[in-house]
Amino acid sequence: MVAPVKESKPAFEDLEFFIDPSRCIGCQACVQACGECDTHRGTPMIHLDYVDRPTGVQTAPVVCMHCEDPTCAKVCPADAIKKEEHGVVLSAAHPRCVSCSNCTLACPFGVPKQQIEMQLMIKCDMCYDRTSVGKKPMCATVCPSEALYFGSREEISSKRKESPKNEFQFGAQTVRTKVNMMASAEAENIPIDVADFLPENDISAFAQKRNGAPDVANNAVWEDLERLPI
Amino acid sequence: MALLNLTESEYIDRYGPTPLYTPEGGWVSGEPDNLVKTHCCFCGVQCGIQLKVKENKVIGFEPWEEFPVNKGKLCPKGVKRYMQNEHPDRIKGPLLRSDAGFREASWDEALDKTVSEIKRVQQTYGKDAVAFLGGASMTNEKAYLNGKFARVALGTKNIDYNGRLCMVSAGAANKLAFGIDRCANPWEDIPKAKVLILAGTNIAECFPILTDYIWRARDNGAKIIVIDPRITPIARTADLYLPVRPGRDSALAHGILHVMIERGWIDAKFINQHTNGFNEVRELVKKYTPNYTEKITGVPAKSIISAAELWGPAETSMLLHARGIEHHTKGVENVLSYINLVLATGRIGKPGSGYGTITGQGNGQGGREHGQRCNQLPGGRDINNTEHRKYIANFWGVKESELPGEGLTACEIINSIEAGEIKALVSISFNPLVSIPDSERTRAALEKLEHFTAIDFFLSETARHADVILAGSLQEEDEGTVTTGEGRCVRLRNSVSPAGNARLDWHIIRDLAIRLGAGEYFNHKNAEDIFLELTAASAGGPIDYSGMSYDRIEREMGIFWPCPATDHPGTLRLFEKGKFAHPDGRAKFHAFPYRPPDEDVDRDFPIFFTSGRVVSQYLSGTQTRRIGSLVEQYPEPLCELHPLLAERLGITKGDIVRVSTRRGHIKVPVQIVQSIRPDTVFIPYHWPGKKAANRITNRALDPISKIPEFKVCACKVEKVN
Amino acid sequence: MNSKIFQFNYFAFLIGLTFAAILLVFIYFGSNSLRDFDPALRGFAITSVLGAFAVGYRLSVWLQRPPSRMYFNRGMKLAWRYPTLLFKSSGKKMAAQTFIKERSLYRWIMHLCLSGGCTLAFAVTFPLVFGWIHFDVGALDTIYKVKVFGVVVRELSVHSLEAKLMFNMLNIAAVLVLIGLVLAGWRRLTNPGVRAVQTFVEDILPLLIIFAVTTTGLMLTVSYSYMQGRGHSFLVWVHLMTVIALIFYIPFGKLFHMFQRLCSVLVSLYQKAGKEGEQADCVICSKPFASQMHVDDLKTVLDQLGFDYRFATSKGEVHYQDICPSCRRRLLVVNQGKMIGR
Repeated sequence: MVAPVKESKPAFEDLEFFIDPSRCIGCQACVQACGECDTHRGTPMIHLDYVDRPTGVQTAPVVCMHCEDPTCAKVCPADAIKKEEHGVVLSAAHPRCVSCSNCTLACPFGVPKQQIEMQLMIKCDMCYDRTSVGKKPMCATVCPSEALYFGSREEISSKRKESPKNEFQFGAQTVRTKVNMMASAEAENIPIDVADFLPENDISAFAQKRNGAPDVANNAVWEDLERLPI
Repeated sequence: MALLNLTESEYIDRYGPTPLYTPEGGWVSGEPDNLVKTHCCFCGVQCGIQLKVKENKVIGFEPWEEFPVNKGKLCPKGVKRYMQNEHPDRIKGPLLRSDAGFREASWDEALDKTVSEIKRVQQTYGKDAVAFLGGASMTNEKAYLNGKFARVALGTKNIDYNGRLCMVSAGAANKLAFGIDRCANPWEDIPKAKVLILAGTNIAECFPILTDYIWRARDNGAKIIVIDPRITPIARTADLYLPVRPGRDSALAHGILHVMIERGWIDAKFINQHTNGFNEVRELVKKYTPNYTEKITGVPAKSIISAAELWGPAETSMLLHARGIEHHTKGVENVLSYINLVLATGRIGKPGSGYGTITGQGNGQGGREHGQRCNQLPGGRDINNTEHRKYIANFWGVKESELPGEGLTACEIINSIEAGEIKALVSISFNPLVSIPDSERTRAALEKLEHFTAIDFFLSETARHADVILAGSLQEEDEGTVTTGEGRCVRLRNSVSPAGNARLDWHIIRDLAIRLGAGEYFNHKNAEDIFLELTAASAGGPIDYSGMSYDRIEREMGIFWPCPATDHPGTLRLFEKGKFAHPDGRAKFHAFPYRPPDEDVDRDFPIFFTSGRVVSQYLSGTQTRRIGSLVEQYPEPLCELHPLLAERLGITKGDIVRVSTRRGHIKVPVQIVQSIRPDTVFIPYHWPGKKAANRITNRALDPISKIPEFKVCACKVEKVN
Repeated sequence: MNSKIFQFNYFAFLIGLTFAAILLVFIYFGSNSLRDFDPALRGFAITSVLGAFAVGYRLSVWLQRPPSRMYFNRGMKLAWRYPTLLFKSSGKKMAAQTFIKERSLYRWIMHLCLSGGCTLAFAVTFPLVFGWIHFDVGALDTIYKVKVFGVVVRELSVHSLEAKLMFNMLNIAAVLVLIGLVLAGWRRLTNPGVRAVQTFVEDILPLLIIFAVTTTGLMLTVSYSYMQGRGHSFLVWVHLMTVIALIFYIPFGKLFHMFQRLCSVLVSLYQKAGKEGEQADCVICSKPFASQMHVDDLKTVLDQLGFDYRFATSKGEVHYQDICPSCRRRLLVVNQGKMIGR
């Protein structure tokens, strides 16, 4: 009944989404490109934050991971979140969403955003308007570092040392997703460690014990700052 | 007198910059009439992009995955570039200065005004009292035409361009070392290298697309060495990070070479067969022991040794650098010192082995090749070489004796205006008020001009001083070619026609030439006409485009110069088999001892000041400060400083600081970060007026390249109460 | 569509029966013990009773889901605490629907036409079908007596403006609905974003059904006003079929949102109570990110749903609900970085 937009290729075929946040350079091309989508023009859905800017430039790009058993959909009181046939968890259905924030608070990946005035949750739907007609998602197409990548499993395996995993361990909860994250080849899944990041003595949790946050002071030689006249 | 007659807020009100979030008339969705395969208008990577065009409007973009350089990838600027269309700030017709700022004028009135003023000034003060300043974001065709216009129609020697603020140090050094000025390798060689040195290049923010090449190298097992006073995003995950003290780059290169020679990691055979001058360099670097080098550069001796250990014995390697080592009063010396590291290993001219400077401006490469520079004629010819002069004079059909000689460089032109020697200025796509150091002096100079005509599509801060504004064209409104940072000449397609009553830039140049009585030299019918003239002019020169055509460039998705014949495939990689472009076929080592920057820290100004870019802004921000979502990404300049320095100065998060140098001060919010040397502060330069980093930078010039010392000066930092 | 709707649910069955029974009782007593009941409309009445069963069944399946139940239970209690907000929020969210204006003005107008037209039509037809409103011909056949619940409330001349308005109420509703349908149809045909995610059953079918109900209803008017009632009985039959389709689509398709959106009023109450109560601070960044009530309720709901996001750490148990969404994103990334050493 619904005519497809122009001629379309089959959705997804053997293509999958892979994310490797460690490659991210924080340029926000994905954010800007996300806002180009016709379903939500001008409103990016992807998340990109500094992990902790004072301690470094590491950034956290997060797209919807499209869980096999989506917590967000389960906690929705209005049946507004649906998974379609390819496993894409869609943004909230407009007529149903009441913007209660259950999904935002329950998603283990911190993905859904609320548009309170519109009474609407929006989140990454893997560019459904593009992927459903065989195009690649915008963010993964433009990403300059390939931190976000859309392609076949063979391609990614031939390119990278890391291997894709789609199982995450949040304490007692195992979460399987459609989107893959690059991890060490030996690991069975990606365990999320919390204990190491609990704040100590009021020091920001991310300011301590973190890879990828080198301090220039530990790498450089400089004259004693005491010489500075104040 | 080019004094401003409106207040800052009145200018912003009428001419912007207005950060645009939604195009005028709203978003247009749906199927475009046309997908135009062209390139981004910003940096030297010149990413392929498809612009969606509907009813003569650019309504969005679609990635162009088939273009081999970026394969659909784009940075945030590329994604949002189309927002310059349907922009309320767009100048849609000629403007003349009036008491109320500017008034609209007809093209005849505006062009006549410009030409009568040029004639008056030249009759009163001589031909060279009129200067022409071009831009390196314009096509090869325009760069070529600008040079011809200045020399044939204006008859002035004083033509230069804003590439003078960008990659001239690298260009000059390349000519000295290799005899030719081009990136030696295509970027596709980067992933094949086993070791990469990235010296003073914030790839992630300035050339984001090249990040993928670096990551692919790492995926293949390459080790990355990053040299920078700041931990940039690419430095964060580097295998070795060398936090060089600003202004000490050549010493660091000497230090690394010292260790390499000591350990025998040099290719003596290559040095003997293909280079000159190594002995002087060997003598020079003897004293640059790791400890001595550590004292100068602030890089720990063990890191210097590690760098040599990685670089020295590597199987394949690439050295890439950018403005970080070039923006210095010894920019050329810095580059030459790093080239020594490449030549000493003999790893150049092979797949995965070589060297390159990453050009910053959209047509930074092509813009510097076709005669838009004060000392250069088309085809990369030398204006001081009689043979070259004769060739071009003959080609243009003018007398060699009438061809002006070498003129002043961009910053010197501004100095000369300030000194009252140059009286009139014609500029195109150049915003020196933001982009040249010591901007209060630039302002003073602009105010002294008897006449100033600016050709531009937005009213830049500099253009506010103009007497005549000639409404030019956006990149997507014209067509032509640009040459990317790797030396690949690519084709720009026009997507839409110029807005309102605006004209194509080269039409404006032609219209001025006709009125100056030189119309016969500018009777091109279209951009391709200019290109064909350009390629013919370049034939036999060091920079030979003569085998290129629009058709070929499009079909082959770009051609690398030199391409001296229509059946020549272009030159992907230079210096293969150790053949260099000097007459003797050899490359040249240069032994320049380290010398301190023009202005070093002292008691009064004890902190190093350095400047650079952020990923969401481009150059002086004339375009990018008008795109709302880019403005939002990094709304105002912040002063980055290390927590140790902040503590010493009593500065905490959220404070505003006054950063002062001998030239002035600016007040900006702080960003306290451990990703910068504790003795250095950094402020990006894309903003004008009271937030302009270039109010405080130093206009001291490199003696060879005449590039100003953007990257180091001495400052003090105080908390503002 | 949630497959659980189609699994037999005994409790929901009982609730459905109760809804149907209540409606039957209301029809019997509302129609003056069936004296005012119009037998010609019995098909519509039976459909309505079956519809009441279906709505009751579906509502109860819905409200048995842990998150819905949580909001329902909390909302019922909070309604007494914030009666003014209940009233205001209902007006804003259910009647004026201003949140749709925030999404887009076009869609707001479209939706007001559709929801307004349908509500108006229901408000006219249900009382007529159930015999709650009944017209008797008075002494003169140009005078009608209007009976509500068996009591004569007015006598009207058929020529009066009021009468004309009353008789044409359904036509007015139909015009409103048609405007809404045209706007909705145009959007569904032309907006690429909408076209990408729409499905036939969820988005197109309801428009077709409403269109069918509206046009067949209008044709009834055309039939007796301009065609001397030709084909009237056939049209009534067709109209009945479309109404049956509509009534049964409501509980099991997109249109069920007219009931589910009641939840948005409860959400207003819940959020107000949340704001006034204790706030939950993220255990990682120590910043408040939600109400403690919301966080605690979600822990309960997650347990009921069979999720267990608890971490046993050397520093005690941590529940992922106690970490704000922003820190969860960062934890994901630093853990991945830790794993691959960057």
